[in-house]
Amino acid sequence: MADLSINLAGIKSPNPFWLASAPPTNSGYQVQRAFEAGWGGAVWKTLGEPIINTSSRFAAISFNGQRVAGFNNIELITDRPLEVNLKEIYETKKRFPNHAIIASLMVEPQQEKWHEIVKKVEDVGVDGLELNFGCPHGMAERGMGAASGQVPALVEKQTYWVKEMAQTPVIVKLTPNITDITATAEAAVQGGADAISMINTINSLAGVDIHSWNTIPHVAGKGAHGGYCGPAVKPIALHMVGECARNPRINIPISGIGGVSNWENAIEFMLMGATGVQVCTAAMHHGFRIVEDMIEGLNNYLDEKGIASVNDLVGKAVHKYSDWGDLDLNYKVVARINNDVCINCNKCHIACEDTSHQCIDMLKDGEGNPILRVREEDCVGCNLCSIVCPVDGAIDMVELPNEFPPMTWNERQAAIGALACAVDTVK
Amino acid sequence: MSDYQQYLQERDRIDYLYQKGYKITNIKEDLEGAQIEFQRAEEDKETLHILTAEGRKYFSVRVIQQN
Ligand SMILES: Cc1cc2nc3c(=O)[nH]c(=O)nc-3n(C[C@H](O)[C@H](O)[C@H](O)COP(=O)(O)O)c2cc1C
Repeated sequence: MADLSINLAGIKSPNPFWLASAPPTNSGYQVQRAFEAGWGGAVWKTLGEPIINTSSRFAAISFNGQRVAGFNNIELITDRPLEVNLKEIYETKKRFPNHAIIASLMVEPQQEKWHEIVKKVEDVGVDGLELNFGCPHGMAERGMGAASGQVPALVEKQTYWVKEMAQTPVIVKLTPNITDITATAEAAVQGGADAISMINTINSLAGVDIHSWNTIPHVAGKGAHGGYCGPAVKPIALHMVGECARNPRINIPISGIGGVSNWENAIEFMLMGATGVQVCTAAMHHGFRIVEDMIEGLNNYLDEKGIASVNDLVGKAVHKYSDWGDLDLNYKVVARINNDVCINCNKCHIACEDTSHQCIDMLKDGEGNPILRVREEDCVGCNLCSIVCPVDGAIDMVELPNEFPPMTWNERQAAIGALACAVDTVK
Repeated sequence: MSDYQQYLQERDRIDYLYQKGYKITNIKEDLEGAQIEFQRAEEDKETLHILTAEGRKYFSVRVIQQN
């Protein structure tokens, strides 16, 4: 059995799977059941001045029969008084001293408001704080959540105020509703954050009912933008984690959030620089017990690879995440169709013929049976045919031996630039 | 003619000039592709218009090798 325990900026937990601040962590009853099921930590549903929610709050995108491919909500932070939450946090921590409880906080951007709430939650024994600078709806209209999380100066200042008072590690939770998340991540570092977490939800409108013309969801015939999460956002979240992990000015741990639905997703986030992951939608879709599969899958993976501790995964793929200008232009892959596996559905031919490079021919074999074949010299290796192919193993993308030495765009431009300089010098 | 055939022709032309002792002295890239200026002696100049992406890669490799 591999060591699954993590230590994120001083917050220890028996495994890297935390519940994200959201409905699953709304109460002591829920968090205690989650810990019993195996979750290593929980970020409590965001605490602040209790709010009023609308009825009808969630919507989901089903895609070709796959339910909850994406999830949308217009829910706000906790609607329960602080004292009630604090009492339940205290009781939960007492029952589960080795599990991580992080208090998610959101107040107006004023120093005394942050000081007040930090003192109160730390008094009941939380292991850390997470500042919610990300909620995109409702709270943002009141100057909190994403509204302050989109302004680097406000991120820095509020983090600084929290750090003035905090005794426990401070995680800053970032909004993805910004062009470059490293700007706010750097601001968090400047403010003294001990860690960052990302992503909160992405501005979204789940749909419009084409019969009633109502938004989905709607509240008495009206809608408002919500926050998007679930499997559909994973690539966006992973990119943002990777961008922060490879930025040398962001040298604090990352808690990865966004579409994590299984142990494989968790490993991806950790390889891309996250010390641990947080999960919301997958727990809402399948219940707390999905963590059993996550723990078992992660443990088996580590054992099979002979890796003693989950921490040995953290950041191992970051150096492979680079800029386009540093990619080798002379690297070449081509598609190869395995005719004994191919079912001749022609999807690859259609995709290539209509939307790519017209290099998959429909031919007949010696016995007159239809076969598909790639003209490799015309194939640019775009991967489209293998993406649309419905049969595993029917199309391989194979590496061709390098005809030329590796050459990146940046190297090419430098060489061409040097040419111009050489001419100038001769002149 | 396929892009590949066109590339092979462009590559042959570039190789031919190198065999004759020319070197690339200037490259102008614009909306029409790349104009590659070759020079051997003071007055011996040639220009190739390279249209294909593979061709643009190829002359870049040659420039790096020649530098
Ligand atoms: C219904 C709902 C309520 C949420 N409430 C909060 C919240 O109070 N505080 C917070 O920081 N994030 C909140 N989130 C965002 C999640 O914590 C998480 O960042 C996001 O859902 C992405 O993770 P996922 O793809 O695993 O769901 C909420 C998400 C959902 C779906």
